[in-house]
Amino acid sequence: MSDTLSMPHRDDAERLGAPVGERVAPPPGCWRLARGERHLLIERRALGVGLLLLAVLLAASLAYLCLGQQSLSPAGAFSALRGEGDAMAVFVVQELRLPRLLAAWLTGAAFALAGCLMQTLARNRLATPGIIGIDNGATAFSVASVVGLGVSLAPPAMAMVGAATAAAITFGVASGGDTRGYRFIVAGIGIGAVFGAVTQLLLARVDIDTANAAYPWTVGTLNARSSGAVTGLALGLALAGPLAIALARSLSLMRFGDAVARGLGVELRRRRVQVLALSVLLTALAVAVAGPVGMVALIGPEIARSLASPRGVPLTASALAGALVMVLADLTGRLLLAPIELPVGIVTAVVGGPWLLWILLRTAKRTSP
Amino acid sequence: MSKATTVNTEPRPSARLSRVVLTLSGLLVLAALASLLWGAGEVGPARALAALAGHGDEEARFVVGTLRLPRTLIGIAVGLALGVAGALLQAVSRNPLAEPGLLGVSAGAAFAVAVALWLGASAATLRVAVAQLGALVGCVGVMSVVRLRGLGDDPVRLVLAGAAFSALLASLTSLLLLFDQRTADEIRFWVVGSLAGRRLDDLVAVLPSLALALAVTGLIARPLAALALGERVASGLGHRPGRVRALVVVAVALLVGGATAIAGPIAFVGLVVPFAARALAGPDIRRTLWLCLPLGPLMVLAADVVSRLVVAPSELPLGVLTALVGAPVLVAVVRARRLPTL
Repeated sequence: MSDTLSMPHRDDAERLGAPVGERVAPPPGCWRLARGERHLLIERRALGVGLLLLAVLLAASLAYLCLGQQSLSPAGAFSALRGEGDAMAVFVVQELRLPRLLAAWLTGAAFALAGCLMQTLARNRLATPGIIGIDNGATAFSVASVVGLGVSLAPPAMAMVGAATAAAITFGVASGGDTRGYRFIVAGIGIGAVFGAVTQLLLARVDIDTANAAYPWTVGTLNARSSGAVTGLALGLALAGPLAIALARSLSLMRFGDAVARGLGVELRRRRVQVLALSVLLTALAVAVAGPVGMVALIGPEIARSLASPRGVPLTASALAGALVMVLADLTGRLLLAPIELPVGIVTAVVGGPWLLWILLRTAKRTSP
Repeated sequence: MSKATTVNTEPRPSARLSRVVLTLSGLLVLAALASLLWGAGEVGPARALAALAGHGDEEARFVVGTLRLPRTLIGIAVGLALGVAGALLQAVSRNPLAEPGLLGVSAGAAFAVAVALWLGASAATLRVAVAQLGALVGCVGVMSVVRLRGLGDDPVRLVLAGAAFSALLASLTSLLLLFDQRTADEIRFWVVGSLAGRRLDDLVAVLPSLALALAVTGLIARPLAALALGERVASGLGHRPGRVRALVVVAVALLVGGATAIAGPIAFVGLVVPFAARALAGPDIRRTLWLCLPLGPLMVLAADVVSRLVVAPSELPLGVLTALVGAPVLVAVVRARRLPTL
């Protein structure tokens, strides 16, 4: 893995006696865009994986717009998108399917990006926010807000408070400073169980109508999202996405352990806080839209890592893969038992459970991403 | 383990043990009394006490005799079964975290019942058999994973695999519930795990198999204690490790399947009860089992009484309270620098 580190490029040039900025052969598999002092390495494989995932995502999205109770041809879906043709088709596509598709994109990307960040931070490929209890913390606080427990904060804000609380407990109390290995994960599962019980407790206290209003937060569905929460998620993703990309280089060094990362100039403490904050923010905003669909945070980065090279942390690919998983899972949930609609959280749990088991039961004992 | 081998300390711990068992039994009687006296409804302790004495009003007699008395008895049976099953599973897998609820044994039983109902079964006795069969499959799965994949070496990893397995089964169960409205109506209140609204018939249907499992437990307690010293020692002492393990699996399946058939899947009792028993009695499995007998019912009854009172006039599912108590215990056990090996 060490020979694929992309960082020390400029140092190589200096060591070889070449003036900085002069043309040096880029590392294998990369394109080098140079302009004066600045240069940018573009990894061909990362670009290819990103384009591939984007293409598949767009195809899946087209299918999402076409299929359902009222099926449309692709051409019909396009004209309905432009507002032409049958009024019913226009309504179905523009008012029902398109907003839900956007919500699926945003939540999938946010969950998977948060998962990739947290896995890298904990250096543990099972340490996704859903598994270590952060989703459940956000859910418990959102439900407290919905059932009106004397707090006037909106669900997204409460979800953020809850996710931060759960993250503080899991990382502060449960990890004991060590986030590698399975103990951290099981401790996180315990914390998640406490918050899950608190959610049940809150739901049992209120009348049945309020409990029904809070129900989506307990299973994970795109059916009951509020437009305010979606806007909040879009803003949060627009803010956190670029920040995460900016952290990508530190992240790829943090995979190698504290000593290596520190030696290569990563300000570990500050970077850790930043990565954790981004991950918590994304998870909380996504939970406020769709509830705890935590398995996406495991599956998305897994797909991205299996496709991308081990050179860096595949942030963009994770986000794209997460959006793809979410779109496909929600489409499956809508179609499989129509007219009954399966919540997307159940679909991802049924798919993700065996996946998780397979990761655990493989003889290879590696857990780091 | 070492305590059990030194001869001269033998009498004193057992005297102390019987004192502890007596104290716990006293507490259990108090808990049972509380379970009869307090409830989420209108009948308060005073009226319930009058009804117990035989001269209460009609409503109080109905509530105490027809609702709370069966519920208390069921709580005792469920606590007994889950506590003993946890101790057995932990002893045989030598893993302090092996809990039937966490490892997917309860979830296997619940899933089997959901499938049976979906296929059209509905008799209560059949439900018990199906639940025990599901628990047996789950239990055999756990044990073969422990033995085959070397997961037994890493207690925490086994729990993680079990948690993933039970989460998968739980989501499949809820999938079945969405699938079929009739199944959903029939078991919606059962699948959350609670003692509310269970009838005495359910208990009667389970009692024979619970008694059988406890008898088996009594027979294998001694070989299990020998097995704790290692397979070779146990074989050298004339026990057959393979047969002991098979009997443990059968006993755990009967206990967990029976308890799940009455009350639904309830996690963490099988973790907390043996944990407390070991803290009180030391690592010898025979003493642990003795202490589990009063401790399990005590925990379930106490949790049940609290579940009626905190959100009165409605009630909490029992599993919520056991999770609130049990999950911190899980975190504490996992965080301990050295996991105790059993």
